[in-house]
Amino acid sequence: MSTQIAKWIQLNNEIMVQKNGSFQFEKDREAARSYFIDYVNQNTVFFHNLEEKINYLIEHNYYEKETFDLYAFPDVKKLYDFVYGKKFRFPSFMSAFKFYNNYALKTDDGSKFLERYEDRIAVVSLFLAKGDMEKAMSYADVLITQEYQPATPTFLNAGKKRRGELVSCFLLEVDDSMNSIGFSINSALQLSKIGGGVSLNLSKIRGADEQIKGLDGKASGVLPVMKLFEDAFSYANQLGQRDGSGVVYLNIFHADIQEFLDTKKINSDEKTRIKTLSLGVVAPNKFFDLVEEDKDMYLFYPLTVYKEYGKHLDDMDITAMYDELVNNPRVRKKKIVARDLIMKIAQTQMESGYPYIMFVDNTNDYHALKELGRVKFSNLCSEIAQLSEVSIINDYDEEDIINRDISCNLGSLNIVNVMENKRMRETVHLAMDALTEVSDRSNVRIVPSVAKANRELHSVGLGAMNLHGYLAKNKIAYESKEARDFVRAFFMMLNYYSIERSMLIAKEREETFLGFEHSEYANGNYFERYLTKDYSPVTDKVKELFEGLPIPTKEDWKCLKEQVAEHGLYNAYRLAIAPTGSISYLQSSTASIAPITQRIEEREYGDSKTIYPMPFLSDENYFYYKEAYDMDMFNLIDLVADVQEHIDQAISTILYVKDDLTTRDLAKYYIYAQKKGLKTLYYTRTRKKTIDECVSCVV
Amino acid sequence: MSRFEAVNWNAPETDYTELLWTQNTSQFWLDTEIPISKDLKSWAKMSSKEQLAYMRVLGGLTLLDTEQGNVGMPMIAQFVQDKQKKAILIFQAAMEEIHAKSYSTIFTTVASLDMINDTFEWVKENKHLQYKTSVIDSLYRNIKPGDGLSLYKAMVASVFLESFLFYSGFFYPLFLAGQGKMVASGEIIKLIIRDESVHGVFVGLLAQEVFAALTEEEKQVAAAFVPELMNDLYRNELEYTEMLYDDIDLTHEVKKYIRYNANKALMNLGLEPVFEEEDVNPVVLNGIRTETSTHDFFSTKGNGYQKGKVEPLHDKDFSLLNDRVNQSNIF
Repeated sequence: MSTQIAKWIQLNNEIMVQKNGSFQFEKDREAARSYFIDYVNQNTVFFHNLEEKINYLIEHNYYEKETFDLYAFPDVKKLYDFVYGKKFRFPSFMSAFKFYNNYALKTDDGSKFLERYEDRIAVVSLFLAKGDMEKAMSYADVLITQEYQPATPTFLNAGKKRRGELVSCFLLEVDDSMNSIGFSINSALQLSKIGGGVSLNLSKIRGADEQIKGLDGKASGVLPVMKLFEDAFSYANQLGQRDGSGVVYLNIFHADIQEFLDTKKINSDEKTRIKTLSLGVVAPNKFFDLVEEDKDMYLFYPLTVYKEYGKHLDDMDITAMYDELVNNPRVRKKKIVARDLIMKIAQTQMESGYPYIMFVDNTNDYHALKELGRVKFSNLCSEIAQLSEVSIINDYDEEDIINRDISCNLGSLNIVNVMENKRMRETVHLAMDALTEVSDRSNVRIVPSVAKANRELHSVGLGAMNLHGYLAKNKIAYESKEARDFVRAFFMMLNYYSIERSMLIAKEREETFLGFEHSEYANGNYFERYLTKDYSPVTDKVKELFEGLPIPTKEDWKCLKEQVAEHGLYNAYRLAIAPTGSISYLQSSTASIAPITQRIEEREYGDSKTIYPMPFLSDENYFYYKEAYDMDMFNLIDLVADVQEHIDQAISTILYVKDDLTTRDLAKYYIYAQKKGLKTLYYTRTRKKTIDECVSCVV
Repeated sequence: MSRFEAVNWNAPETDYTELLWTQNTSQFWLDTEIPISKDLKSWAKMSSKEQLAYMRVLGGLTLLDTEQGNVGMPMIAQFVQDKQKKAILIFQAAMEEIHAKSYSTIFTTVASLDMINDTFEWVKENKHLQYKTSVIDSLYRNIKPGDGLSLYKAMVASVFLESFLFYSGFFYPLFLAGQGKMVASGEIIKLIIRDESVHGVFVGLLAQEVFAALTEEEKQVAAAFVPELMNDLYRNELEYTEMLYDDIDLTHEVKKYIRYNANKALMNLGLEPVFEEEDVNPVVLNGIRTETSTHDFFSTKGNGYQKGKVEPLHDKDFSLLNDRVNQSNIF
């Protein structure tokens, strides 16, 4: 390890050193260039031509032979030439660094690069197109123009001989039995081993002090189970690269909810403290009613509920069942004050960022598969909302009953490029094809419940990023009416085209997801809002932006409804808006649909530190890049709510607050989000005032 | 018989005491919150020279925080009159102990017992380290009741320690963390810097108040004392830096950083900077901007979280929220 700093890091950091009162943005381009010339080029393995390179990579077990066998070499060459011909250049050090550091194929000893960005795109396209040359060219086109970006596991792994899974986010139900807990720990270990993030629904676990084998007061509740999972995740650390990540969700009416939240308190006992596991609470609307009415609330002991009704607490519609449970003397309960609990959630969020919140009734009310199952929890980034069913894990001499868990398979559109290239229908169709392809080719055998759900439902999650970048570039304020006008139309179109494509796939293959005929798509209820409400833009500014892009009308929707009724849909779930960490850097884009947090970001990303000015940042749009902490979170929630109408799953929504906020302010945001129909809230980020800000005004 | 008086937070002593109390308490943290074990891999990749420098840097910092927590802050607190200010100083003293302990948390996680013991032995033997500590310590112990000048001198020493002398040590962890090395430990250092910057500002303000109350004659003595102490400590610091950083070729960079922070210390005392402005290594400079940096949730803890302020919901909140829901339907 050299003690001298690399030139590109130095240059990149010099952006922040102000000269004549302004930042030195040009240093970033210099840094990107230096990184390329002084580092990437110096450390790339040289080949005389493409054929030599591909043969070498196949022979040495870097690329999967099967991918290339499906194509004639001249076609492969044509594809590479096409991609290289686009002359793509990374506009910032961050984007180049992200790609070469995290995505590019390297020699086994990690010392040299074997791929450039163009190569990765070509291989991903060939892999996804499975021998269809025309399709491969189409994929390559939307990838190199950065209109569509597959999620990291797909983009990183496609076409490689020795590779991880193409999907990496999993959600598992845990039953209230030792067999199931053991099975889930094994699944968590296995999924962490292949680089997955895992979410666990612990709401079925009996509460502390419940019965075991009919003996009162023997159960230790949810906390020790959390500890077991936390240790499992830190054990499976992918050869020491990164600890496994996991989240545990608990229903807010579970008897252990307070202790669950206390595990994140700064001054809690080490034995009960949960450091590396993320937490989420699942909150039915009943909870918010009790908070609004300032009433006491009862927490329920899940085992007594199960014994009484033969159904798990969290499989119930608790809002509907609440009075029944309260009045049943055989259900054990504990009384607390509802407002105290929401305060505790707010306080825990301020101290730790957690828990995530799922508004589970909002989710199920608009659930297109409501007749097929309930959504009970979300994932590590809180954008997934799919049905799940707990499996019954039996002893060795008895067969298990495997039901459906969840995996998520994601990709995102880059709003700036989609809007500018004006071929949204084609792009969304290709994106849906790419995601469906990944679903078809994934078979997570180590966790049969995940494999089963994927086989039956073909769920995917298409999202979007670079919203704030697009708005700033077009001089629209994030909190304005125009911004909301834009997202209403854009995401309506995303929804329309994704349904259309899923219908076409079903039509081509003559196959729908299992149970389609019982879905809201089949009976037409799902389309109700589109037949009654017009989502096309109303403001002049936004109308202008959509010029040259046809906007589906009520008539189109009516037609689509009929086609769906006739042919069905291939994918049970289609859309989900992920927070887009790494991939938004690759795309030089702002993250997800979120506002920026800093005009010039200082990024600590596990293993590196980089200065990253927002895309297109200039003196002209500086003020349209308002930072999230300076925004009114009610406005943010309004915008997310407008998007949520068109998204069948959920949206990762982060709240950004300054440190002078109180628990009351934060609780108001939760309540507002619930009233506005959001399905989830991801974590809350707090920005501290710096000492300059707070003392300089008084001294 | 003298009467005992209770601290009364209902009557503000100055405009800034409560603000500083809130700032201090809200940024409370514990070393055990940071998963240092993530640095094991990074540590194993460091050369033995680099490891040695890192250990010694932290060893030196431990000594200074020990002095500040055990002697500096309590002594000054004892002689400051206002009870709220005393409270802040005592809280800061407690934080200094947490800082001192947190270096040990890094040691115990990454280093062998022999290395740790050697480091503490080295701290006892190193003449530059011993020298600066003894200079500061004697100023603390020389405060006399009713003698504003001696109190001022001690406060100057404290500001120099917090805003200046720590930074030769902070440089290396910041320099590494800026390059993605020893990132979790770097997180601890950043939390410490976040505290020290508030401490430096606070004691600097107190010093200015004490100075204002001195007689003209005392003011002259005080004004001569500051540059004299600065020079003495600066010379010692240069040699200390050479000894620590020569082997890893960073001496030159660190010296610039020391001068940069010496200027900051003087500014905290309301005085003019004495050193020429120089370009400090930007990687390190970016490490001490104390705003919340953007942060990967799955990796380090970040200095973004803090104790929450509790305030109950009111019934009227709900009617406002319901109104807002209605108003938000603009389409």
